[in-house]
Amino acid sequence: MIFLFIALPLFTAALLPLIGKLSRRVVPDLVGNGVLLFLLVYAVVAGRSLIDAGPVVQQLSWLGESVNIRLVLDGFSLFMLVTISLLGLAVGLFSIDYMEHYGAKGTYYALLLVMIVGMNGLVLTADLFNIYLFLEVGAISSYALVAYGLGHDELEAAFKYLMLSVVASAFILISIAILFGTTGDLSLGGIARGLKVLDNPGLVAICAALFIAGFGLKAALIPFHAWLPDAHPSAPAPISAMLSGLLIKVSGVYALTRVFFNVFGLTPALSMVLLVLGTVSMVGAAFLALGQKDIKRMLAYSSISQVGYIVVGLGTGSPLGIAGALFHLVNHALAKGLLFLNSGAIESATGTRNLDEMGGLAKRMPLTAATNLVGSLSIAGVPPLNGFWSKLLIIIALVQTGHPVFALIAVLASVLTLWYYLLIQRRAFFGQLNARWAAVKEAPFWMSAALVLLAVLCVGIGIFFSAVIARWVQPAAGVLADGTQFLLRWGW
Amino acid sequence: MTLQTILLIGVVLFSALAVIARDLLKAAISLAVASLCLGLVFFGLGAPYAGVFEISVVAGLITVLFILTIALTKTGGDVREAKLVNIVFPLFFLVFLVVDALVMRSLLRKIPVLDAPAESGSFGQVLWQQRTFDLIGQIAIILAGVFAVLALFRKRENHD
Repeated sequence: MIFLFIALPLFTAALLPLIGKLSRRVVPDLVGNGVLLFLLVYAVVAGRSLIDAGPVVQQLSWLGESVNIRLVLDGFSLFMLVTISLLGLAVGLFSIDYMEHYGAKGTYYALLLVMIVGMNGLVLTADLFNIYLFLEVGAISSYALVAYGLGHDELEAAFKYLMLSVVASAFILISIAILFGTTGDLSLGGIARGLKVLDNPGLVAICAALFIAGFGLKAALIPFHAWLPDAHPSAPAPISAMLSGLLIKVSGVYALTRVFFNVFGLTPALSMVLLVLGTVSMVGAAFLALGQKDIKRMLAYSSISQVGYIVVGLGTGSPLGIAGALFHLVNHALAKGLLFLNSGAIESATGTRNLDEMGGLAKRMPLTAATNLVGSLSIAGVPPLNGFWSKLLIIIALVQTGHPVFALIAVLASVLTLWYYLLIQRRAFFGQLNARWAAVKEAPFWMSAALVLLAVLCVGIGIFFSAVIARWVQPAAGVLADGTQFLLRWGW
Repeated sequence: MTLQTILLIGVVLFSALAVIARDLLKAAISLAVASLCLGLVFFGLGAPYAGVFEISVVAGLITVLFILTIALTKTGGDVREAKLVNIVFPLFFLVFLVVDALVMRSLLRKIPVLDAPAESGSFGQVLWQQRTFDLIGQIAIILAGVFAVLALFRKRENHD
């Protein structure tokens, strides 16, 4: 029952503010995390067995009458569902303790679940207008979650995020309107068929340019990144983890990839655009991250840089590059989720995000320091952690497809990444303990549990990378590598 | 065609006025007029359901909500805006209009279009049998909006 991925969180979200009135803490925590755990187990256990025989198209009926809700589960969408559920659960667990002082937990979990509905709906639909609609569902809940602290910075960041996101939505909507106007269809398969009949590269170029601007803004690729370094640090830490770890990837990278690979078909020109945009983001954001003192702002710039790696991997267009990009997508979601939650644990204990004010925290917060080290090394691409393997695949794919210069830049950007993550280690955790932090204590139980869960996943996926790639990444990469043929073959 | 063009110009001008107007009431009314013009454009293009929704919900219901909110809000506490914004926005808008007109004029006749069946079926059929999943999305958007209001207008507890 694929519809459960949308219906269950939506139905629960509708009830949560009422539940929050009856019980201010325990029940919203229990219900919110219960739903997230169920979604994860359902995606891993039932989802995998559902698509064993190929993609599943589910047509719903209501009281015996067929209604037009067609959901599609293929390797790529299942891969995204598992990633969303996994990080969603870690964020939910972390929120149990972290969101205590923000209040209104029922409303918080309701917004979090609606954001999950937006992402799940987006990855399960095969209709371009539905993609736009669910993009907005995720976006609206995220504006409110960024501003959840109600402080001046939070409200300003949410407003900036809203304004730039509206511009992105306008670009996407114009492109959808052009495609609908010319092909007379909104289903991904129908548009792919229509474009094949029309055979007009100019039309594809216009729509691709609009989608790059729209989805590029959502994914915060340079030069469309201005909103992210403000929005992500200002949000509560679990929401920063959701935004940087998931939302920019689902509403930016996933949507762009689905349209470019399965609807337009990746041409050499589109491939080069992706390679250049990805490389500029990878390097530019890494340099910008180096100069930051605010730990969350540094992490936000790092997200832009790592999304650059994913886009570069996709830009190669080769099965290995696509697999590397998707593997890096999940690895970055886990590691960046871990690091943002980690920064939340530090801020919660010390009250600051300024790296210059920290120092020696490893002595007072050993678990936080250890998990931060795992996340940092994973993103920097240090073996045997998960980030190393995905970056390696991307770099090998770049060399194989005749782009050695891009491969060299990717290696150098990785060195830069290691540099600024080691700076975090040195300035926050090592050296003399700042006297102000003498009474600082380790993060509470649920916050620590979420950190340990994500750190274990980073190490575990690094060790068992071949099994993860074979079972989860390859089926997803296969969907994209098939290009437009995938949709046409399955008659969507 | 002439009427459609006039209505489209109306949509653009009143939308711009809604952004530029400093008086919130005038901005809300401009938005309603823009929406009314858009609703009439939908009728002209043979999309009556979209037209009815646009006029009843956006031009009607939402305008009433805006005006009610403005009436209930206390005066004072004006936000000071940089003077640069007042110059930059109209300038940007004019440049956009010129570029848009030039680009669309050169593109409109060059893009090939496939034949598509005209919108058919009753309102219920269109909504229930053709675009059902949109309804789920719309429910989610409404819920997100409601929760956003609950979150942003809540009483702060221990924070800060």
